[in-house]
Formats: sequence, structure tokens, C-alpha cells
Amino acid sequence: MRRSLTPYFFLTPALVMMAVFTLLPLLAVAGLSFTEYDVLRPPVFVGFDNYVDLLTEPDFWQALGHSVIYLIVTPTLIVLSIVLAIAVNRSLPGIGAFRALYYIPVVTGSVTVGIAWRWLFDTRGGLVNGALTWLGLNDFVSGLGFGNAPLNWLTAPEFTLPLAMSMTVWMGVGYYMVVFLAGLQSIPDDLYDAAVIDGCNGWQKHWHVSLPGLRPSIVFVAVISSLSALKVFDEIYVLTNASGGRLNSGVTIVFYLWEQAFRLQNVGYASAVALVLLVITLAFSIFNVRWLERGQEEAR
Amino acid sequence: MTTLTGSVAAGRRPTRWGMVAWYAVLLLVAALTVIPFLWLLSTSLKGPEDAVVAMPPELLPGHPTFENYVRVWERLPVWRFFLNSLIVATVTVVLNLFVSALAAYPLAKMRFPGRDAIFYLLLATLIVPAELTYIPGFLMAVQLFQYIDTLQSLILPGIFSAFNIFLLRQAFQTVPDELIDAARIDGAGEFRIWWQILLPTIRPTLATTAIFTAVGSWNSLLWPSLMLRTRELYTLPVGLNSLRGMFESDFRAVAAGAIMTVIPIMIFFIALQRQFVRGLTSGAVKG
Repeated sequence: MRRSLTPYFFLTPALVMMAVFTLLPLLAVAGLSFTEYDVLRPPVFVGFDNYVDLLTEPDFWQALGHSVIYLIVTPTLIVLSIVLAIAVNRSLPGIGAFRALYYIPVVTGSVTVGIAWRWLFDTRGGLVNGALTWLGLNDFVSGLGFGNAPLNWLTAPEFTLPLAMSMTVWMGVGYYMVVFLAGLQSIPDDLYDAAVIDGCNGWQKHWHVSLPGLRPSIVFVAVISSLSALKVFDEIYVLTNASGGRLNSGVTIVFYLWEQAFRLQNVGYASAVALVLLVITLAFSIFNVRWLERGQEEAR
Repeated sequence: MTTLTGSVAAGRRPTRWGMVAWYAVLLLVAALTVIPFLWLLSTSLKGPEDAVVAMPPELLPGHPTFENYVRVWERLPVWRFFLNSLIVATVTVVLNLFVSALAAYPLAKMRFPGRDAIFYLLLATLIVPAELTYIPGFLMAVQLFQYIDTLQSLILPGIFSAFNIFLLRQAFQTVPDELIDAARIDGAGEFRIWWQILLPTIRPTLATTAIFTAVGSWNSLLWPSLMLRTRELYTLPVGLNSLRGMFESDFRAVAAGAIMTVIPIMIFFIALQRQFVRGLTSGAVKG
């Protein structure tokens, strides 16, 4: 009797926490999505009204579109962190210090980075406009069609998402670099030696040996970084001072959810948004897993 | 095994010009990494005589001073923010690891009805975005638990982590069965086996799991800013965010606050950088 119940004793705390903080909220949010609820008055059942509203609401589609655009960070992160991993994967003096340094943005925290970004891109006092002036690029910048230099990076709608994405990349590249570094170091040396004998030069060697060898890491990074890109919030929140940017230029799906739920008290409607987010995440995960499986079959 | 400071097996020693080229790349990236911090640092040390808004910008403070730090320190309970963050991170890590390691043991080492079902249920929760639970989580915090505006409200939802259960399960699987069987023959109960034999053998995994959980808790912004109302309960990210409002146009003070809040996590990282990287390479990418 004792033996047979033991595993459940060990599992109980985790399962209780899971039920209370994940499963129950999941059911609750699904239920709330069929109601109109403003926290003050009790929820009123409205059927599929929230979903109909949502599908006909341009702001929702704009937010969804922004989240899809945000996925550009995934290929960017993959390319940059592979290059960086190749760069630090060699025995040069001081290489350990470089690796550690590149990891620091990962642990820094989004509020600090947001403050740094706002201050780097400030129109009149920022280092970026300063550097552009110093390099004599102001005429060139003015000719790009975003207005005359110095540019208003923080308030011009077309820059809100790119700035947030640059923050995501800057904070993430060190993490993914280490993932790729581990991947590179698991590739046997013989493969590189064979490639050299076959007449590969430095870059061909990486193309023919490193990239195929990194395939599992690439899939891992693609999955992790695209899921977190879909759910981006902090970067937008700190860069736009919680405003979502001019003309909602930085409102992504999670920011929209937050705004509807916690600023406008449209709890029922926000729950419907949350459920759409779940469906998108699910679809994404399934697509990613399929892709992973196909990759493994090809590798065999 | 990779460490940030360790030498490299796969990399070969390049030619002299190759070396120069690689150092150029490494230094460029290093500059891109460091410049945002240095720019904040420089601004935070600028005195009232130094221009903050100038074109071209003044790179270095002409009259360096700690005045801005003092001003922030006097206006905001930064020390409390730090303490709150420390309490939340520490208690979250301890409880999370305790609960996760408990659950990981039977999943790794026991056969019992429902094991696969429970395992897949846990797997499924990995897909659920945390943001999804914020709306009901908030309502529960207000109505059910009535713990809004307390540190508990930051700790309790952070205890369950399917990801940590998986990492620890993987680690437990590498422990030889003979070790557990021998202890059973000696009459040890399952809890004692878990506590005295299994946990010590997976200490490195516990350490890295703890570190990543701590950093996640330390930097989290959205949930704490939903929960906390009283300033004395703010964590560092929430406090730093409120500082931006208080010192709206006072860039020197905001920069000083940002530098102050980044120091503890820097120290933590530099002290534990080996564990950071071991965690990434052992758990994540065995695909």
C-alpha cells in the first residue's frame, strides 16, 4: 500500500500548484472569454460576441500584424548568434572574457536596457544621433524619407517596432550564442579535418560542416525565440513608457491583451484575445515540432 | 562541456592576419555590448554643470559626481527594492526547486499507473503562455487569495515550473538504479533516498536550475507591476520603472538608478558565470 501511493505523494505539491496556477486559470480565461466583465459588476454571458468583436476590430488585427512582424527577430538572432559562436569558438587569448561579456545583456533586465535604449536614441541628447552627426551622415539620413535629421527615433511610429526588436536582439544574442557554442563543440573535429582534405576553405568549412551539425540547435533557437517574440511585452512597455507607441505603432498582441484587461477593464474581451494567443502558440508549437521531426528524418 | 572561461577543443589557432580580423570582430561586438552601459554610467556621473542634452553629446562627465546617486537613494527606498527582490527570488527558488525535484523523482525513477499521462500533461503546460494566466491570476489574487500587493503574490505563481521538472527529471535519470536499490535494501524510505542520495548527486543541475529561476524572478516586470501597489513592496524592476516617472526629465537620476539596479545582478553573474553556461549546455540542447 505504502509503495503504491509513494509516487503520488511526491507529485502532489507540483500537481496542486499546476492545477491552481495553470489549469484553473486556463479554464477561467476560456470561460471569461464568453462574458462581458468589467470587474465591478458580475460577468454577463454574451456567447461568441467577444470573438465576433475581435475579428472585426482593426486594432486587434494591427496588434496581431505587429506580433508577426516581430518574428523577424528570430532569423536575425539565429544568424548573429551563429556568427558570434563561430567567432568565440577558437583559442585566442582572452576569449573567455569576451564570451562572458557577451552574456551580460542576457541577465541585465528589460527596464535597465529600456532606459539605456531611450537614452541612446534620444532625439537631442542621444548617442545615436550624436554619432550620425559626428560621422557627417545627417544629409544621408534626411534623404531616407523618415524626416530630417536629427531623427525622432522614440516618437516616430515607423521606428517603434524596429527599436524594440533591436532591444530583443541585443538582450538575446548572448544566450543563443552559448547554445550554438555548445552545438559547435559537439561537432567532431574529424569532420572539419575531412572537409579541409576535401579542399574546403574557412567559410566553406562552416557552410558544409558547422551548419548541418548545428541543425538541432537551430531548431531549438527557432522555437524558443519565435515563441518569445510572439509574446513580447517588456520591450514595448519600457520603450514607449507603457503607451504602446504613437498611433499604437508598438502594440503587439500581449500588449493589446494587457491594455484591454488591465487598463480598460474589458476583461471578457481580453480573455478572448488571450485564447486567440493560445491557439496561435499551439499552432506554432505543432508547426515547430513537425519541422523538428522532418529535420531529424532528413538527418538519418 | 563548455565554460565561458575554458579553452576550446574545436577551434584551431588561426594565422596572424586571421587573428587580427577575429579580434576586430570580437572588439566590435564588445563595444556594442558595453556602450549602452557606459553611456548610462557617464550620464549618471554628470554634474549639474555638465550638459546632458548636447549635440554632439558630451561623452565624459566634465565634473564627475555621485550626487545623482545620492538623490535617487534619498528619494526612493532602493535598499528596500533590493531586499524585496532578494526575498522573492530566494523564496521562489527554494520552493520551486523543492516542488520540482519532488515531482521529478517518481517521473524519472518509478513505475506507476498514470505516469505517462501526468508527464504529457506537464509537457502540455509548457505551451501555455504565462500571459494567458494573468487575467484569472489577477482576479484570484484579488478575490480568492486576497494577496494582491504582497510579496506572496509574486512567489506563489512562480513555484510551479514544468521546465524545471524536466531538467531535474533528466538529471535524476542519469543516477544509477543500483544506488537507489542499495539504499532501499538498507531500509531507507523514499523521502530519505530522495533527500540524502538523489539530491546531492544532481547538485550541479540543481545549481544551474536555481540560477536561471533566480534571474527570471529577479528581472520579471509585468506580473510584479500588476500586483504591487505599495512602494515599500516594489521589486527592483518595478521600482526602477517608477523612478522613470518620478524623475521624468532628470536623465542623470534615471541613469543613476539604472546603474544601481544593475550592479547586484552583475556581481551575481560574474560570481557564477560557469554555472550559467553549464546549465545552458547540459539541459537545453541535447536534441
